[in-house]
Amino acid sequence: MAVALLAATVVAAVSPPRFYQDDPIWTDDDKLLDASKVTFVEDSNGYDFLINTFGKPGQRRDVRALNVNTVDEVPDSSWFVNRIGRRAMTIEDIVRGPDQRTVASLDGWVVSKGKSTGVQAGFRMNDPSGQTYQIEFDPPSNPEMATGAEIIGTAFYHAFGYHTVEVFLAELDPKKIVIAPDARIEDPLIGDKRLMTRRDVDDVLRRSAIQPNGKYRVLASRFATGAPLGNFRYYGTRPDDPNDIAAHEHRRELRGARVFGAWLNHDDSRGVNSLDFLTADGSKKYVKHYMFDFGSIMGSGTKFEQRHRAGNEYIVEWAPGWLTLATLGGYVRPWMLIDYPKVPPSVGRFEGVAFDPIKWVPEYPNPAFENMRPDDAFWAARIVSKFSDQAIKAVVEKARYSDPIATKYITETLILRRDKVLKTWLAGVNPLVDFAIDPQGQLTFSNAAVDVHAATPASGYRLTWARFDSVTNAATRVGSEVTSQEMLSRVPAELANTRAGDYIEVQVSATHADHPTWAKPVVVHFRRVAAGWQLVGMER
Amino acid sequence: MFTARSISLLLLLATPAWAGAQTTQPPASTPAQTPPPETRAEELRREREEKQKHLTPQQPNAVESAINLAEKKAMPFLQRDGVYAKLGSLTTSSGFAYGAGFRNRRLFNRHGTGDVWAAGAINHYWAVEGRMSYTPNPNGIVTVDGFIRRVHYPREEFFGVGPDSQRANRSDYKTSGVGSGVGVTVRPTKKFSVGGNVDYLTPRIGPGTAGDIPTTQTLFDETTAPGLDQKANFLRTAAFVQFDTRVPINARRGGWYGIQFDNYDDRTTGDFSFRMTQLEFRQYVNFLSERRVLAFRGWLATTDVNSGEQIPFYLMPSLGGNTTLRGFRALRFRGPNAMLLQAEYRFEIWAGLDAALFYDTGKVTDRRADLNFKSLEHDYGIGFRFNTDQGVILRIDAAFGSSDGRHLNIVFGSVF
Repeated sequence: MAVALLAATVVAAVSPPRFYQDDPIWTDDDKLLDASKVTFVEDSNGYDFLINTFGKPGQRRDVRALNVNTVDEVPDSSWFVNRIGRRAMTIEDIVRGPDQRTVASLDGWVVSKGKSTGVQAGFRMNDPSGQTYQIEFDPPSNPEMATGAEIIGTAFYHAFGYHTVEVFLAELDPKKIVIAPDARIEDPLIGDKRLMTRRDVDDVLRRSAIQPNGKYRVLASRFATGAPLGNFRYYGTRPDDPNDIAAHEHRRELRGARVFGAWLNHDDSRGVNSLDFLTADGSKKYVKHYMFDFGSIMGSGTKFEQRHRAGNEYIVEWAPGWLTLATLGGYVRPWMLIDYPKVPPSVGRFEGVAFDPIKWVPEYPNPAFENMRPDDAFWAARIVSKFSDQAIKAVVEKARYSDPIATKYITETLILRRDKVLKTWLAGVNPLVDFAIDPQGQLTFSNAAVDVHAATPASGYRLTWARFDSVTNAATRVGSEVTSQEMLSRVPAELANTRAGDYIEVQVSATHADHPTWAKPVVVHFRRVAAGWQLVGMER
Repeated sequence: MFTARSISLLLLLATPAWAGAQTTQPPASTPAQTPPPETRAEELRREREEKQKHLTPQQPNAVESAINLAEKKAMPFLQRDGVYAKLGSLTTSSGFAYGAGFRNRRLFNRHGTGDVWAAGAINHYWAVEGRMSYTPNPNGIVTVDGFIRRVHYPREEFFGVGPDSQRANRSDYKTSGVGSGVGVTVRPTKKFSVGGNVDYLTPRIGPGTAGDIPTTQTLFDETTAPGLDQKANFLRTAAFVQFDTRVPINARRGGWYGIQFDNYDDRTTGDFSFRMTQLEFRQYVNFLSERRVLAFRGWLATTDVNSGEQIPFYLMPSLGGNTTLRGFRALRFRGPNAMLLQAEYRFEIWAGLDAALFYDTGKVTDRRADLNFKSLEHDYGIGFRFNTDQGVILRIDAAFGSSDGRHLNIVFGSVF
C-alpha cells in the first residue's frame, strides 16, 4: 500500500497535468524552429505503391490522434488551417477557395518549361509578372473532366482546411502560344534537357481535348511560394524537420482525409500527390504541406474516366483475387455489378447509389487512413456536414461544365454521397457537441448528427458529474446519474461554487434504439474561470 | 519488402511522437534540473528542440534506391532513344532473345525514326535489322517505311506438309537470308488503315543444327518439302486493309479486322511463285465491368499457284506454337491453306494480372475445299498474363488436350 502510494506520488510529480493553462491550443506553432536544412525528397510512384501495398510503413495502433488539442480538434499548423469546420464560410468563400486573384486569359503568357511530373498533358507557363503556373489539359475522350475535377477538388480541400495552391480555368488559344527563348524540356525520348520547340507544344495539344472554338480549356495551377521539397508521406515524420514531431499516420487531418476522400472519391489520396514547400517566415523557414493534384477525384481518372475498381478495392487486394482465381472468375466482386448511369463524358465514371463510405478505399493502403478511428471520422464528417446543398452546387458550377446535365449530375451525386458519409460517420459515434455552461450554471449541448438530419433525436440523455483533478488526472464523482429528455442540464449545486482554476467533468451519453454506440459517453471537462466556465476537454 | 518494412519501423521508432495532452505516450524525458513545462506550447516547443538535436537527412532505404534505379535508369534503357536493350523473341521458335539497338525517333525534325538492332538467343538464333520510317504530317495519316533484315534461324522444325504430317517425322532445318523492302501505310482515320509494301527476300535453307533430331534434308526431299534444295529469291508485293476498334490496345471491347494479299514472285528459278490471301478477325466482348472478356480470333489463309509451280514449304501458312495452336510444337502443321479459331475467357485477378481459359482449334489443308470444321486439331489450357492497358508484358500459357502432348508457353506479348 505504501509502495503504491509512493508510486502514485512519483507519477503525479513527473507526469504533466491533463490540462495546461493555455489549453485548448488552437495554433500549433510548428514554424517555431528553422527548418531550412531540410532536403528535397520525391517518392516514386513505384516505391509508394510497393511500400504501402506489400509493406506496412508507419505504425498501426488504435491510439487517439496525436495532434489534436484537448477539445478533440485540430489546431492550425503548417498542415491545416481550420476553415469551414470552425467558422462560417459564405458560399462565395468556399467557391473562391485558395484563389487570391482571377485568371481569365493567358494572352501575354509564355511557355517556360515542359511538364515532367504527373500523367496529365501539360507544360509550365509564366504570366507577364513572371509567376509560374502549371498548365494542364483534359484528355480528348473526356473534355472538361480532369480540369473540372481539379477545380472542384481544390475548392473543397481548401474549405476542409488543407493548404492548396490556387487553380484557375482558362482558355488557351493555340495561335497565340509563345514559347520563351530559354524554355527547356526534358526530351521524353532521350531524357536530356533541351530547348522547347513548337513541336513539343503541339505534342501536348494533340493529346488534349480541343473545344469547338478551336481553343483549349486548361487548368492553370499557380506555384506556391517557397522552394519545393517533394512530397510528404502518410507515415513517419521528416527526420530533417525539427518541427515535425507527430507521426503522420497519427495526425488527425491525415487520418480524417479518408472521409473526405470517400466523399469525393479521391482514390488518388497518396503521398506522391502532396507537396512540401520550404516557406519563409521572417528570418526562419518552415515546411508547409500542401494537398495537390485532384485530377483523379469523382469520376475522373485524369487521362480516362475513373476505373470501375476505383474507390471499391485496392489495386492489389489478396482475398478477392484468390477467390477469383479459385473460382476461375466465377466470384463476382460486388463493384463489378454497379450500374453507372449514362452521363456526359465530362463526368467520367461516378455514382452515389452504390457508394458505401465504410467500404471505400483509395488505390492502395494509406497508413493514416488505416489508423482512422471513429473520433477521427466524426471530426471529418462534421466538416463535411457544413457543406449545404447550395454550397456543393456552387462549387460544382465553378468547374464551368458546358453541359448542364454534368453540373446537375455531379451536384446530386455529391449530395447523395455527403448524406451517406454523414449517416455513417457522424451518427457512428456519440455525436454530442457544442458543450457550454452559461453563467447561470446551465449546461447545453447539441447533436451534430440530428442537426443535419443524419439521425433522429435521441430518446434521452444521461449525465454523470464529477470534480476533476488535472494534476492527478482523477475524477471524483458527484451525485448520482442525471437523466434528461432535452440537451441541457444544470451543474450540480456541489460544483456550482467551484473556485477559479478548478475543473469539473461531465460524461454525457445518449439513448437511441438505432445507435447503440451513442451509449458510450462523451467526456467533457470545464475549467472555472472568472467569467464562468471554459470548455477545456472533450473526448469521444 | 521485409527490409523496407524493417527500415521504416526503425525510422519510426527513432522518431519522437508528439506526446500531446490526450496521447497515451509519456512526454519526452526532461532533465532533472529543468522545471516541467507550464503550458502546452512550452511542452511542444521542448519536444521540437529535443528533435532538433538529432536531425538526420532523409535518406532513401535500399528498396527505394533500387526502385529509383529501376525507374530512372533501367526502364529508360528499354524505352529511350539512343542505345537501348532489345529483349524478346525473334520468331516463334527462337525463345527469349537478348540484344541491343540504337534508335532515333527525332529524325527529319521528329517526323522520322531510325532503328538498328541486333539480338541473339541461347539456341543460336540471331537477327539484325535496320528500319526507318517517315511520317510527313504530325497526324500520322501517311507513313512510309523501309527495312533491311538479316536472320539466322538454325532450328526451325518441319514435320511434313498437310494435315496428316506425323510427329514422328520431326526434323529441323536452318533458314537464313536477307530481306529488305519499302512500304506505305495510309491511316485516314484512327481506326482504318490501308497500305502496301514491296519486299525482296533471299531465304536460304540448310540443315538444322539441333542435333537431337534428324535434319529435314534427311527425312524429306524436294517432292515432300518443296523448295528444300532450291535457292529462290522472292519479290513479295503485299496490300492490306485493317479496321481496328479495340479499346484499349490490350482490348476489352471492340475488334480488329484485316485482309491481306501477298504475291510471292520467284525471281530466281521461277518455280515457286504463289499468291496468299489472309483474312483475320479478333473480337472482344466484355461483361462485369470489363473485368471479364470473351476474346475470339479467326484466321484463314489460302494460297494459289500457277500450273507447274509450287509453294515452298518454309513460306506455307503454319500452325502450332505460342500464338496459334498452343498445345502443339511451333510450326507443327504447314500447308497451302490453314484455318484457326481461338477463344479465350479472360478474367482479371488483380489489376495488372489476368488469367485466361483458352481453346484453340484449326487445321492445315492441301485443298481449299477442305477448309471446313471437320478433323480439326485442338487444344485447351489456362494462362496468366501480366499486362497493362497497352499490352501484355509476360504471358504464361499451359496447354493440354492436343495430340502433341502438354506445352508450357512463357512468352512476351499477347496471343491476340
